Amino acid sequence: MSHDEFSCRQIILESLVEYEDGSMPETERMRLEAHLSHCPPCVVFIKSYRATGRTLRMLKPKDIPCNLAEAVMNFVRERCKKSS
Amino acid sequence: MAEDQNASDLELVRKIKGGDDQAFREMVERYHARVYSLSYGVLHNAEDAEEATQDAFLTLYRKIDTFDESRKFFSWFYRVALNAAYSRARRRRPGVTVPIDDFVPRLKGGDGQGSPEFAAWVDGIEDETISRELAQRAEDFIQELPPAYRDVIWMVDVEEMKPADVAETLEISLAALKSRLHRARLAVRERLAEVASARNPAGAAEGERRAAP
Repeated sequence: MSHDEFSCRQIILESLVEYEDGSMPETERMRLEAHLSHCPPCVVFIKSYRATGRTLRMLKPKDIPCNLAEAVMNFVRERCKKSS
Repeated sequence: MAEDQNASDLELVRKIKGGDDQAFREMVERYHARVYSLSYGVLHNAEDAEEATQDAFLTLYRKIDTFDESRKFFSWFYRVALNAAYSRARRRRPGVTVPIDDFVPRLKGGDGQGSPEFAAWVDGIEDETISRELAQRAEDFIQELPPAYRDVIWMVDVEEMKPADVAETLEISLAALKSRLHRARLAVRERLAEVASARNPAGAAEGERRAAP
C-alpha cells in the first residue's frame, strides 16, 4: 500500500465522519473512494455504519404524553404558588 | 437552528421576563416535546422523562432572568433540560457504563493496514422488522455509554439535531463533537453487529471470511 492511500484503520477510526457528513475535501474523498473500490470489507463496514444511523433514528420517542404541556403548566403554577 | 426561530424565542423570553404568563405557555407548547425527548434520552423511562421535563420548565420560569440574550435560547434551555434530567438520574440507582474503548472496532494486525473484523449483518439490518428489534437493543447500548458520548449520539442520531447546535448546547467544539459522535456510533455499531451475528451465525462466518481475506 503506498503512502497516499487510505488504510482501513484510518478510514474507520478517523475519516468516516467527514466522509459521511460531506465535509471531506474533494481530493481526499476521491482517494478514499479509490480505496473503497478495491476493499469490500470497508464497503460493508460503511454500510453497517449507515445502517446503525438508520436504526438509531427509530428510537426517537413517538409517544409524547398527550397532556404533558398542561401537566407542565400545572406543576410550575403549583410550585411557584408554594414558594411565593 | 434557524436564526428566525431564535429571534422568535427571544421575543417570548422578553415577554416571560416581563411576567407574561401567556408567553410562558407558548414556550411550553413550543418546547415540551423536544425537552421530553431529550430527557428520555438520558433517563429511558417515560415517567422520569415527564418529571424531568416539568423540572426543566420550572427552572426556565425561575431562572429566565439569568439567561444571557447574546446566546441562543435553545442552547441555554437544552442545557437546563439536560441538567434536570441528569439530576433526576443521579437520584436513581446508577446504571452500568462501559468504557468507550471497549467497543471501538477491533482491527487486525495493529499496523494500520489490516482489514476490520465485522460480522455480515448489513443485509439483516436493512430488513425493517429486524431493524426494529435491533433498535430496542441499541437503546440499551446507548445507556451503557459514558454520558458525554450518550448525549451526543442521542441528540444527533436519534433527535436529528444539527451537529453545530449540539456542540453549542454542550459547549464543546464541533471537532470534539464529531469525534465523540463517531466513537459512540462505532461503539453502538459494534454491539449491534454482535447481536446481529448471534442471530445469524452463518452470515457472521461469511462476514469474517470476507473481512479477513
